Amino acid sequence: MDRSRADVRQTYDRIGEHFSKTREYAWPEVEAFVDDAAQTNLALDIGCGNGRHVETLQQRADRVLGVDVSRSLLDAATKRVPDASLLLGDAARLPIASGRVDLAVYVATLHHLPSREARIASLDELARVLDSDGRALVSAWSTAHDRFDAAADAETGFDTTVEWTLPGSETVPRFYHIYAPAEFRSDVAASDLSLVELEISSGNCYGTVRPEPF
Amino acid sequence: MQEELLDIICCPLDKQDLELDVAEREDGDIVAGTLTCSECGEAYPIEDGIPNLLPPDMREDAPA
Repeated sequence: MDRSRADVRQTYDRIGEHFSKTREYAWPEVEAFVDDAAQTNLALDIGCGNGRHVETLQQRADRVLGVDVSRSLLDAATKRVPDASLLLGDAARLPIASGRVDLAVYVATLHHLPSREARIASLDELARVLDSDGRALVSAWSTAHDRFDAAADAETGFDTTVEWTLPGSETVPRFYHIYAPAEFRSDVAASDLSLVELEISSGNCYGTVRPEPF
Repeated sequence: MQEELLDIICCPLDKQDLELDVAEREDGDIVAGTLTCSECGEAYPIEDGIPNLLPPDMREDAPA
C-alpha cells in the first residue's frame, strides 16, 4: 500500500469531528511535563488536534502555536482554544522560524508519519524550531502497549493499521508505526535532538528532548 | 490570524519570510488573505482565519 502524509490529512479530515469529541482531556504525562516547565514566551503543539494540549501549554506560555495537518481538527481547536494561534502544516516541514520555540509537545503524532525518513525529518524540524534552551516532549505508541503482542525488548517496531470506527460503525483505517523503545531512542539519536529522558507510560514512549548542542 | 504571527511563521519549503496580503479583516484579525514566500514565491492562503501552510503536495487538491 502506497502511503503518503496527504493520506493522514484525508483520514483526520474524515474522522475529525467524531475523533475530537473523544479527545476531551489532556494526558497526565503531558500535564506533568508542562507543570515542570518555567514560564515562557512561545510554546508549540505539533499535531495539536482539537487543542486539548494547547490548553495545557497556555498555562506556561504567553503565546501558543498549534499545528495540525487536518482542517477539521483545527476547526474543533478554534472553538476550544480561540486565543491560540493555529496553523495548517506538516510536522516534517514546519512553517515556523528557527530557534523561536521555548516549549513544545509533539504527542501521538510522530507514529502517523509513514516512513522513518519522514519521522526523523520531523524530529529535525522540532530541533530546528526550538530555542537552544528549549525543551519538548515527544510521544509515540510503543510495542509495550497491551494491545500488541510484540516483545517490549525488540530492536525495531512495526507498521500497522488501526481502524477508527465512526458512529454508524463505518471504519476508517489509520496508519501507525508502533515504536520499540530501543528504536525510539535510536531515531531521536539519528535526529538533531538529544534525549534527556525516556519514560514508558500507558503503552507509549515519552521522550523529553532538547536540541543537540552545537 | 493575528498579524504579529508573521514574525514567527515562515515558508515550510525554504523557511524564508512570508509577505502578507490581506483580503479581509475582522476585529483586527486577518480572516482571509494570502501569504507569499519572499524567496520562492509560493503562495499560501489564509482561510477563515487559519493560514494553510501545508506544502503544495499536501494540499486538498494534491493527489494522495
